Amino acid sequence: MRYRVLIYTLCVIVILVLQTTVLDFIKVFNVEPNILLVFVVCIALLRGNVEGAVLGLFSGLALDMIAGTTIGFYALLGMYLGFTAGSVNKGLYKDNLLVVVFFTFLFTFAYEILVFILKVLLPSGNITELFYSLRYIILPEAIYNSLLSVLTYIFVIKLNMWLSRLDSRNSGRDKTV
Amino acid sequence: MRHLLGNRNFILVVVTVLLLILIGLSSQIESINQLGNLLSIPLNPLQKAFTFLGDKLDDFVTFFKDTRSMKLENEILRERVKILEEENRELRKYRDEINELREALNLKGRFDDYEMVGANVIAKDPGNWFNYFLVDVGTSSGIETDCAVLTGGRGLVGRVAQSHLTSSKIMTIIGEDSVVSGWIQEKGGNVRVKGDITLKDDGLCRMDYIPLDVDVEVGDIVETSGLGGIYPRGILIGRVIEVRHINSEFNRYAIIEPAVDFKNLDKVYILRRKDASLQADSAAK
Repeated sequence: MRYRVLIYTLCVIVILVLQTTVLDFIKVFNVEPNILLVFVVCIALLRGNVEGAVLGLFSGLALDMIAGTTIGFYALLGMYLGFTAGSVNKGLYKDNLLVVVFFTFLFTFAYEILVFILKVLLPSGNITELFYSLRYIILPEAIYNSLLSVLTYIFVIKLNMWLSRLDSRNSGRDKTV
Repeated sequence: MRHLLGNRNFILVVVTVLLLILIGLSSQIESINQLGNLLSIPLNPLQKAFTFLGDKLDDFVTFFKDTRSMKLENEILRERVKILEEENRELRKYRDEINELREALNLKGRFDDYEMVGANVIAKDPGNWFNYFLVDVGTSSGIETDCAVLTGGRGLVGRVAQSHLTSSKIMTIIGEDSVVSGWIQEKGGNVRVKGDITLKDDGLCRMDYIPLDVDVEVGDIVETSGLGGIYPRGILIGRVIEVRHINSEFNRYAIIEPAVDFKNLDKVYILRRKDASLQADSAAK
């Protein structure tokens, strides 16, 4: 468990730094992917809602600290994102990448709609921007994210296998000692 | 199992309430946001390094891409330089004249109450919604929330939305949540210059609340009016490139091309009020 926390922290920090610096270079149609969101969704799908919620909470908090303007906003969204994604019935998607792609699309869509409502619609009260946002921001990002989720999910599965091996070896050693 | 599940939901509710309180507090009390220092101080050097490497890589790639088209461009530019040099000579004459007149009118040194602090852009807002970016000076250099941010060419970039110890978040004027009170040069009339989600990707913003008696035309120059107290008067915002009418002749807004190229910002200047530092000094004494 200790290694898991450590590795997740490392992943979140690396993703955050990439996302705030060089991600501009892989913009497609003026939209960049939200790798942190994809990472949280993948971990949550694989590891369940508790781990999803905790990871979502802390990565959201980190995002608030280095990029947001109100501390707690992205943390709250992230927690519910991880929790909901982790609550999806596991029988649905056992080893099926297409289902992961689908859910990443769905969760990105829901997440960005919420961001739109809370950060754009509520302050300005201007509903006319919804169409533009859907067409040029939310949908392209959801598509981009869901394509990236294939790579991320494969990476997360590998990471998970490695971490489980590490954990079991460690607990085995603990028992013998 | 049922008990555990109930417990889990209970924790979720508690954390939700705590976060809501935190959100409420951080919009009330500025100092809560200083929590961000915990992460921004160790991450800033990393971000600096990545931005630097990214820029270098970009330069490298564009170098090879550009060599072919450069020859042609060179010729065109050479022609243009000739024309511009001529124009420049003329304008320089005007500038001297203006300076003389200004001195006569005592208008010189609009920014005398302020001093410029140079800053490098080290990171940008993740995500596709807003146009914030991060620079490498913060409260340790006397930067506070709402300080105005300019480029070297004296075009308005935006203002400081939040400052940490070693970094500050800058809100740009093309961002959805930015509102600047503007003034149309020569024609007069207070207007509102606002970021617009549909324009920000093209680096443009929107000007509305145009007084009825002002005849806005393409090419008009817009600067800050100084109303509202955040931006000092007379900072260049940009140029009108299109006037759009909604339904009637008088219901209109204009599209503004800012003087600043937001796609290629790497160095900015933050206006720091001089008397603020003086006050701090005298308070210390």
